[in-house]
Amino acid sequence: MSEKEVAERQPAPRTTDAVELARIARRLRQDVIRLVAPTGQGYVQQGLGAADLFAVLYFAELRLDPADPEWMDRDRFLLSTAHNTAIFYATLAARGIADPAAVEDYCKDGSPFEVNASERAGRMIEATLGSLGQGLSVGIGMALAARRRHSPSRVYVLLGDGELQEGQLWEAALFAGSSHLSNLCLIVDDNEMQVEGHIDKVVKVAPIDEKFTAFGWVAERVDGHDVPALLACLERARGRDRPTCIVAQTLAGKGVPSLEGLLAHNLKLPPDIAQEALQALAASERMEGANAAEA
Amino acid sequence: MQPKPDRSSLEVHDFNARSKTAAGAVKHYGEALLEAARRDPRIVCLTADLTLPTETDLFRDALPDRFHQVGIAEANMIGIAGGLARSGEIPFVHSFCVFATRRCYDQIAMQVAYPRANVKIVGVIPGLTTMLGVSHQAIDDIALMRALPNMTVIEPSTPEQVRAAVVAIAAHEGPVYLRLKRADGAEAPAEPASAFQIGRMRVLQQGRDGLIVACGMMVDIALRAASALGREGLSLTIVDMPTIKPLDPDLAELARGLPVIVTAENHSIIGGLGSAVAELLMERGVRAEFRRVGVRDTFAEGGSTPYLFQKYGLSEQSLIDAVKDAHARHTVEGRK
Repeated sequence: MSEKEVAERQPAPRTTDAVELARIARRLRQDVIRLVAPTGQGYVQQGLGAADLFAVLYFAELRLDPADPEWMDRDRFLLSTAHNTAIFYATLAARGIADPAAVEDYCKDGSPFEVNASERAGRMIEATLGSLGQGLSVGIGMALAARRRHSPSRVYVLLGDGELQEGQLWEAALFAGSSHLSNLCLIVDDNEMQVEGHIDKVVKVAPIDEKFTAFGWVAERVDGHDVPALLACLERARGRDRPTCIVAQTLAGKGVPSLEGLLAHNLKLPPDIAQEALQALAASERMEGANAAEA
Repeated sequence: MQPKPDRSSLEVHDFNARSKTAAGAVKHYGEALLEAARRDPRIVCLTADLTLPTETDLFRDALPDRFHQVGIAEANMIGIAGGLARSGEIPFVHSFCVFATRRCYDQIAMQVAYPRANVKIVGVIPGLTTMLGVSHQAIDDIALMRALPNMTVIEPSTPEQVRAAVVAIAAHEGPVYLRLKRADGAEAPAEPASAFQIGRMRVLQQGRDGLIVACGMMVDIALRAASALGREGLSLTIVDMPTIKPLDPDLAELARGLPVIVTAENHSIIGGLGSAVAELLMERGVRAEFRRVGVRDTFAEGGSTPYLFQKYGLSEQSLIDAVKDAHARHTVEGRK
């Protein structure tokens, strides 16, 4: 590739059509159920809850080249809650970054698509982050490197609200605020859930936005299922002189009425429940389709 | 009101305890790092509020845009280094040995060792070389780093070796832990710069009656102990083993047939050089009377280095006693 070609290289096409993104998110929810069902249990609630975030990030926001995961000026995405892999792998497959057939082997012995995402799966996994609290620090390193080489690359870190109980996260938050890392964007998947249940019954972390504001960030709260609002948040984050923390309020199990709000860190997914969930998701898809046609 | 007197001359910027001769001591590590960084633009420098004690002030002043002060936050520093390395840079991270390893062990395992990130972890104040007490004494750092897959562990014994090691680890692709005792001007006269190769031992002298394998500060002590034992008629082979992992496998053939083998390290006898040597020799079927000189599975206390080395069994006399004890045992066993 010539220097000119490198300089003019563009990311893969993206869409900011909110209706299309919502449609993608519904498909991803079905993929979550399909991926977890053969294992009988897994990170279903988080996956359903974060589907809109993944759709917006991977199909609208991130500058990527699915054909070349090592493109130097790509945006970086780090999933600090690295167990939330059903939705992560489903998204990578849907975006053409991971091989859909390989992703089907999710959690099978020998598969690189493990329950906690590791770099074994390939270069599209930017870091191995199953040990909670580490993703923001790694993202800071990537943001500093991008800044030094004057790259337009931005770094997005997605973590859970429960993960904010880890001390290292606050070391990183302090540093990012202090160094005005404007190319860094943190998205907190605020689903109020951790292993032992509701976060407030374990160790309360709220108000998250006020904490980050105090640490030198711009923090915004947003409905994590409101696609246009998410797009607008990410757009504003790009124009700032400091890091942005988007506190995305999400509903565990979103999209499957019988599972919505069920705070199960790990969910049993026997065939009948999986079937019911897929039917519910398909029904909502048909309904949205009909609404769209009517409109 | 009286103006406040200027007391700025009382500030101790570099509190890493050094001897009286330290004022004019050369910053061997700091100079070598800066030279390496001038040759390789990928090298960046991180420190956690310990710039002067780690001699990285030279780097900071010369290459400020490649220097990151992260504050007192070692876990975050390691994570940042992992991110920098994944972006093609070569981060050298700095702290005291104990905080550069034990404090952020899981971060090193996941963000440095597992992905084979090209991160160089550099610690100063090895073992019992500080007044600052147990909190600052790294007696298990070699053991911790050695247990991590993909990690290379190096402890140089002379200023020249420090300089050569910096060149070698900058060229080495992958994670390294470099354990440093800063030069304080009291070192033996400089030897000619020797070629330093990761994973290779240096045989300093050869003898028939036994072998001492040492690293870091204990090499000089081993040479002095050997000299004293020589006067009593025992001739010893002395090996400087600056790379503790991967350990030079040629040691096995050098050791074979020698009646006495003693290891010496400014570290716990558990998990460090002594353990590594024992593992190699046992697996290669080398038999001898074996002793480990080091911190004997105990925490220590704050104090001067000579006092602590005396009290915790790291002195020249401790080494002499270990060799003599092993030799006597060998002789008794041999008569049976």
